[in-house]
Amino acid sequence: MLEVREDNAGAFEELMLRYQNRLVTVIEHLVGDRDQAEDLAQEVFLRVYRSRKSYTPGAKFSTWLFTIANNAASNALRSRNRRREVSLAGRESGPLGASPLEAIVQASSGQMPARQLDKAEMRDIVHLALGSLGERQRLAVLLSKFEEMSYADIAEAMELSPQAIKSLLSRARVNLRDVLAPYLERGEMPSRASEE
Amino acid sequence: MSNESDDPDPNAEDARAERLVAYLDGEMDDESSRRIEAELASDAGLRQQLGALEQTWEALDELDRCEVDERFTQTTLEMVALAAEEDVERVVKESPRRSRRRWLLGGIGLAAAAVAGFTAALLLWPNPNRQLLKDLPVLEHFEHYRLIDDVDFLKELQQQELFPEKTDGQ
Repeated sequence: MLEVREDNAGAFEELMLRYQNRLVTVIEHLVGDRDQAEDLAQEVFLRVYRSRKSYTPGAKFSTWLFTIANNAASNALRSRNRRREVSLAGRESGPLGASPLEAIVQASSGQMPARQLDKAEMRDIVHLALGSLGERQRLAVLLSKFEEMSYADIAEAMELSPQAIKSLLSRARVNLRDVLAPYLERGEMPSRASEE
Repeated sequence: MSNESDDPDPNAEDARAERLVAYLDGEMDDESSRRIEAELASDAGLRQQLGALEQTWEALDELDRCEVDERFTQTTLEMVALAAEEDVERVVKESPRRSRRRWLLGGIGLAAAAVAGFTAALLLWPNPNRQLLKDLPVLEHFEHYRLIDDVDFLKELQQQELFPEKTDGQ
């Protein structure tokens, strides 16, 4: 990043290639839409370039990158929620669409104790369980799981205290457990979305 | 903190979950880790809770990891290159204006300093020609004045305005 700061174009490309998949992955799970995730990731890289001179040597680049990503995704979700409030006044919906867990329950054949844990189904259930978390819990989980960031780094990226991250991650994991445990243990489809 | 079914306090449950999660995340110091390991060894309910948290965390491995294509990389680099071009254009465009303003301000400052310096020198520096200029009218008519011995008579002539030029104080 120090070379990017000194206007080395090759260094910027290298940095982008190293982080683009990771960034799009986190943003996609955050906003629930691949196209929007790519648009936001491009915006993040552009912001990284434009604010390269304010990068402090010694700071962790990934933490800085995900701080910018957090702000960009939060803004996008906020404006999307505002639009949704206008167009769907009165209807409740999560970040990944209206009541995702209920939707999958309706789409499946109810409780299936003998059902094989099909991999695609498992992925869908986990995806929806993640989507049932609040935005902040979801981001903390993604940074911890995918980026293997420490509480201190997540705290910096999310502009919260490490203690707040500790509580946030604990509640998130309890919520995930509550939603996923019936499915993982007995093959039961989740019946409700957990709340932050 | 022995058995969770004996402890209905939600705050205590939250605190226990926090400890378990911090333990799983490797965010505990050695002393706290040893303590919770001892509790786990003697508490089946706590072990079960830890197992469930760990199992759901591992389930997140099922989530998709994105792979962007070359088009994404190319368009992003193009956007950045465009931004870089705009930066350069702006710098070039602003550069002469900035430079002009700098020269103008510098020039004004320099002129003000020169005027101030000149005024100060004028006030403080004794001018050797000032007295000569003052005495010039007397010197011009010195030959005439020399013919008259009496200064009082000269003053009387001056009061009657018989001299062609006025002399300061003479």
